[in-house]
Amino acid sequence: MPVVEIEGLTKSYRVYQKNEGLLAAVRGLFHRQYRTVDAVRGIDLTVEQGEFVAFLGPNGAGKTTTLKLLSGVIHPSGGTAHVMGYVPWKREHAYRRRFALVMGQKNQLWWDLPAQESFRLHQQIYRIDATDFDRTRDELTELLQVRQLLGRPVRELSLGERMKMELIAALLHSPEVLFLDEPTIGLDVVAQHNIQQFLKHYQEVRQITILLTSHYMKDVAALCRRAVIIAQGRIMYDGSLAGIVDRFSGHKVVTLAFADDAELPNLARFGTVVEARAPKVKLRVDRPKVAEMLAAVLSQHVVSDVSVEDPPLEEVIADMFQSAEASLATADA
Amino acid sequence: MSTAAATFVSRFGVWWTILRICIEERLVYRGDFALGTLMRFLPIITQTFLWTAVFVGAGGPAAIGGFTRDEFIAYYLLTYVARAFSSMPGLASSIAAQVRSGEIKKYLVQPIDLLTFLFLSRLAHKLVYYAVATAPFALVFYICRGYFHGWPDAPTLGAFVLSLMMSFLLGFFLEATLGMIGFWFLEVSSLLFVYMLFNFFFSGHMFPLTILSEPWRTIVLYQPLQYLAYFPAAVFLGKVQGPELVQGLLGQAAWTFAFIVAARTAMHFGLKRYSAFGG
Amino acid sequence: MQPNYFAVFREFARNSLVREMTFRGNFILDCISSLSWVFMQLGLYLVIFEHTNQLGDGTGWSRWPFFVFLATTLFVNSLVQFFFMTNMEELSDLIRTGNLDFALLKPIDTQFLLSMRKFEWSSLANLVFAAILLGVALTHLDFTPTPLQMLLYVFYVMCGVALLYSLMIGLGSISVWLGRNESLYDFWFYITNFSRYPMEIYSGPFGTPLRLAFTFAVPILLVANVPARLMAWPLASQDWRLAAYAAVASIVALVASRKVFYKALDAYRSASS
Repeated sequence: MPVVEIEGLTKSYRVYQKNEGLLAAVRGLFHRQYRTVDAVRGIDLTVEQGEFVAFLGPNGAGKTTTLKLLSGVIHPSGGTAHVMGYVPWKREHAYRRRFALVMGQKNQLWWDLPAQESFRLHQQIYRIDATDFDRTRDELTELLQVRQLLGRPVRELSLGERMKMELIAALLHSPEVLFLDEPTIGLDVVAQHNIQQFLKHYQEVRQITILLTSHYMKDVAALCRRAVIIAQGRIMYDGSLAGIVDRFSGHKVVTLAFADDAELPNLARFGTVVEARAPKVKLRVDRPKVAEMLAAVLSQHVVSDVSVEDPPLEEVIADMFQSAEASLATADA
Repeated sequence: MSTAAATFVSRFGVWWTILRICIEERLVYRGDFALGTLMRFLPIITQTFLWTAVFVGAGGPAAIGGFTRDEFIAYYLLTYVARAFSSMPGLASSIAAQVRSGEIKKYLVQPIDLLTFLFLSRLAHKLVYYAVATAPFALVFYICRGYFHGWPDAPTLGAFVLSLMMSFLLGFFLEATLGMIGFWFLEVSSLLFVYMLFNFFFSGHMFPLTILSEPWRTIVLYQPLQYLAYFPAAVFLGKVQGPELVQGLLGQAAWTFAFIVAARTAMHFGLKRYSAFGG
Repeated sequence: MQPNYFAVFREFARNSLVREMTFRGNFILDCISSLSWVFMQLGLYLVIFEHTNQLGDGTGWSRWPFFVFLATTLFVNSLVQFFFMTNMEELSDLIRTGNLDFALLKPIDTQFLLSMRKFEWSSLANLVFAAILLGVALTHLDFTPTPLQMLLYVFYVMCGVALLYSLMIGLGSISVWLGRNESLYDFWFYITNFSRYPMEIYSGPFGTPLRLAFTFAVPILLVANVPARLMAWPLASQDWRLAAYAAVASIVALVASRKVFYKALDAYRSASS
């Protein structure tokens, strides 16, 4: 049985239109103007036990809203969702003790107290057995190398250290499902890497189910085999990361280095030249034409080096979002 | 020609829209502000009931501390007017904060005097406040007009206005002096809190100071805080008259002058100390 | 499996205390400032009772019974402040920052979690002062309260706390709905101001409707009046009806405010990030 089952999930809400300035704000108390935002427009998704799934998408695509729906923070406008057989927005205690949500931009630890005090509070709220609690806490602090920071007030920790503490707080009750919303946002490269390594290790050992949203392709590439791309509240793609390029990119990037570097040949008829700096030319070529183009060039010129690559993932996805936006704009108009 | 006319009409339409929105905004803003000011008068209701009960309980005496029941209510209303002049929210703490943050430096290099600058900005602030608060004040006084027995005579009214003006000056320079203490002690918030409490009690905002028994009554009528609320209200109600009134106004002028000097002196030595020790 | 509410409660209390102790200067200042307000109130009534024997005609609120009343007001308000005030003030912050999300994830009653997270230990200074004032006032009464009166007093102080807390939760629900908290705090102050006086002072053509409104529509006049009346003079039969009503009103208020609060939480849309 799948762990997460979503069918036709939608969420739209009315947003109070804020205008700039104090006067406008006061005026807004009397005349409120609302705008309806369709954050999620019908999502179907099934996630199996032990999967590590990434949600990719631009800001406002509906990733975070989906995670909030799945954790029961907000109610949907339509559709159904089950996580481990529970309906999240019924907010049952039994469900609440089996999952956790970590939000990179928010902080749930007591700001002025050492993190261990917040952990103790979690122990009581989740009723974690004392020996289990000690073992889990020690294991997690060991893995994340923050043991010596346990006694320091949270406000004195760096962003990365605080994120680690947030993760520990979320994992103390050994959740079976973990929702991560931008867990590495704002962190430096080293801290990002540490947290990636930790998540990877933890997921492999525990075989829990994780849904992650992130802006950083590195997070996704390092952690997830399955990527779900959301744009404008809809799922655009669901499959492996490598498959994205196959499916959405019709071209390859070909780089040629010419031995006779006196003059670069004009290659515009084969594709779009991205960069031409003697002796190298880089161009985008439609996939079916690559073979033909290479044959033609190699027969006419002396070429010292050739590489044929897929375009970078970020670029493909960015293109995809743009076309999604454009198609939606025309559909709305 | 017709296109020019059409252009003019459309442009005029835009102007009109902008003007209307601005007026609307102003009005709504004023409405909200006026509502807030009216809300502040709500405690008058419980004070009215409380003092009515006090007079009834005492067997309906003619006056307590020289004030009849109606005059008590009138007194409370008038203290609101006096405090609209004398209270300086945030003045002392902002001076202290500027010292702490080092922002005060700009007065060392710029050809502007700290006190003058603060005074002018406070004056502007108050003027805007009066422009907006007059309507709600007028409404409350109109509703409560039964507690007043007509307008006082012209000299009394003149004395009232004079004492309000001086209460503004006194309030300003008293708080400014306190703020200057920030030059010597960085943490003045507790001190300011104590001052606020004293101010509330000894300015006569809680009750007319004359209802205190001796020797307290004599003592409180010598201290400067009385001029921030009690004195103007008492003047309006004709409780201070003749030589007493002149004496009172002179006393208020003397305290005001004393605090002008105190604020100037404190600023002088404070800035001297500041530039000597750095921020 | 239900969480151990008592253990969580203890943890909240401990954490808040640890926190207050890290800012000890602040803590002492808070104690002093809240006590000073109380002293000023006391000063006002000391002055008043120099000029009158009692408040109103034949009400029985002479000096010492009235100080029982004043102590009761203090008790109820400092308890509300101790348990709930900080939390309700923070509720609007939680809504604004979207941190209310975390409260909705925990396997524990959300109202409990949001109402009792932080204790304001400094308000215990007022509580201690209220106890002293009550003790002094009781020794000056011309009768000795019976153990039954003591019991009823404790019970009705709790009812008073429940009534004020319900009002607070109601206001909190409004801020959840609106997603903001404009001047609700002022509103709270102005409304509760009416509860700080003996109900008899609200008489006459304006006072009577006011008294009825604050007894039956928004029953905040019951908060201090009922426990104080049960303590300030020997139990009298005319107070029973009011007492029975107060008990019922407290329960109804708690249940109703809880329903409203959960409705508001259902409507909650977390601030988008």
